[in-house]
Amino acid sequence: MSTSSEPVISDRVAESPEKLRTLLRRMMTIREFEHLGEREFRNGLIRGYYHSYAGQEAVGVGFIEAMDLTRDYIVDHYRDHGHCLAVGLDAVNIYAELFGRRAGVSKGKGGSMHMYNQEKHFLGGDGIVGGGISVATGVGLALKRMGKGGLCVCFFGDGALDTGTFHESLNMASLWDVPIVYICINNQFSMGTRLDRHSSLTQLVDRAAGYGMATEQIDGQDIGVTLAAAERIFAGVRERQRPVFIEALTYRYQGHGIHDKPHNYRTPEEEDPWIHRDPLLILGQRLIEEKIMTGEQIEAMRQEVAAELEAKVEAAKQSPAPEDRELYEDVTL
Amino acid sequence: MQLTYVEAIRLALEEEMRRDPAVFLLGEDIGVYGGAFKATAGLVDAFGPVRVMDAPLAESALVGAAIGAAYTGMRPVVEFQFMDFIACAFNQVVNFAAKSHYRWGAPVPIVLRGPAGGGVHGGPFHSQNPEMHFVHTPGLKVVEPATAVDAKGLLKSAIRDNNPVIFLEHKFLYRRVKEDVPEGEHLEPLGKARVARPGRDLSVITYGAMVPLALEAADRLAGEGLELEVLDLRTLLPLDLEGILASARRTSKVLVLHEDTRTGGLAGEITALLQEHAYDDLDGPILRLTAADTPVPFSPPLEEAFLPSAARLAESVKQLARY
Repeated sequence: MSTSSEPVISDRVAESPEKLRTLLRRMMTIREFEHLGEREFRNGLIRGYYHSYAGQEAVGVGFIEAMDLTRDYIVDHYRDHGHCLAVGLDAVNIYAELFGRRAGVSKGKGGSMHMYNQEKHFLGGDGIVGGGISVATGVGLALKRMGKGGLCVCFFGDGALDTGTFHESLNMASLWDVPIVYICINNQFSMGTRLDRHSSLTQLVDRAAGYGMATEQIDGQDIGVTLAAAERIFAGVRERQRPVFIEALTYRYQGHGIHDKPHNYRTPEEEDPWIHRDPLLILGQRLIEEKIMTGEQIEAMRQEVAAELEAKVEAAKQSPAPEDRELYEDVTL
Repeated sequence: MQLTYVEAIRLALEEEMRRDPAVFLLGEDIGVYGGAFKATAGLVDAFGPVRVMDAPLAESALVGAAIGAAYTGMRPVVEFQFMDFIACAFNQVVNFAAKSHYRWGAPVPIVLRGPAGGGVHGGPFHSQNPEMHFVHTPGLKVVEPATAVDAKGLLKSAIRDNNPVIFLEHKFLYRRVKEDVPEGEHLEPLGKARVARPGRDLSVITYGAMVPLALEAADRLAGEGLELEVLDLRTLLPLDLEGILASARRTSKVLVLHEDTRTGGLAGEITALLQEHAYDDLDGPILRLTAADTPVPFSPPLEEAFLPSAARLAESVKQLARY
């Protein structure tokens, strides 16, 4: 069972102090964004469903940082708020989408699980587990035909490996030499069902290896690791025009969704080692060790980020709700 | 140029691929094999395997891949060996393709095409008419031509449309219909019905392989002094409401005929539309003649009993004419 908290260290990137500070700030932004989002959910401003990305920040921020979004594309899964922030969408528009307002990234029609932005090459946000994997494979196929060296990054969770389209898609990607990186964010649970109860093999890389593609299991908690792996793997995919499957080991702090109380199916003792290897903590400690920031400066940064996001929440609240006539718009074009 | 229905399909694909390099074909056995019904025969020689892509037998990922390629600027046309198999891709069609523009603002210009319908003893999984799954799904267009001219002209329009189009070809018609088809730039509009035969006494509203059946009945009944108007819907979503109402107002009596099963079939929807928009124009009840509410049986005599026939149509028409 691969739920161990032991990291699979492959390498760690040596980045400039400025870059490391930026990465910390980005991960903090996601963490604080989710805190405020959950608060607004409990306040009743956000309706429906809410899936927090807290705990998994080093995966999305690391991999997206290494992408070239002038030519690469992302196909995302439903736990998409963090990735929206990582590609640079304004939190005002993300909150507005969560509030169902017109200024939302999807005009309020998609909601939490259906964020999208063509300019950032961010192809959603999809509310059906595994559904985006085949779509991403088609994006990769088209990018290969364009011949500009672009690749597709497809994010999904460990539960998605159990769907039929995962296997149909990996077969196609390998058969057709598609430049795609499948990133399985293994947070140990398919909703509330633990990995060893939903997957016949718990080393998920083994499930992809059967399609004849390179696979790699990495520590998803340390952004030094995820970023280094992303840079190396993307360069290889561009050069070889072959798909790669990544299993990033991480942990979901909250339940599956906001209504889910995870201690029905996992214990605080089990959560502890993961919380001690928190992605923000790991990078923060490194910044302190390398004398780039002090603990006080890190806390000041967190407070600054939280204050900025409070302002974004307020700005999103100012966006009007869609008018009734908008119900009929965009069904077809 | 005299072409069969399936040759007209092939010509539309070829012309659109020549016109637009973003158009490419994806499907099982569409390359050297030429397609299960030879609708793509020779196209791999003309365009190469990159634009006429043989795919693994995996309809769900095939449709998903087409959607992804469409997001990034391509215009894929996916062939199903039998339209029954679109059931395997249901999620990709009704969730991803149909709702991408509404939920995201992302157009999905794809065509999902292939043979539907019975009458050739294909049995329960190779004879179905799946249109109503998709007519009931906002965001899609659903098209089914009845003639070779329309097969070509509607498919060309479908490929140029910026929405996902389910393009149902009736396999019974593939080689039984042969007619003069215009060469080159001949487009038929989506969303417009066609009066296949004008008549004053009664409208038969239908589509697909039931169009020639209705025309056959109309010929026979004309000898008995009954003039049927046959309206070929051609596009099932969006329905041509104006065309339907105009025909109903001309004749004031309507029978809806389809090869799909009865409950939840298109006839129910058309009946409701006529009640809402043309109640005062009608001089009789709206009748429907459809396939039975059963799976499609293999046994040829059973399949004959399952499908509407010209004889039963004539009987229903006479019943309606008496009002």
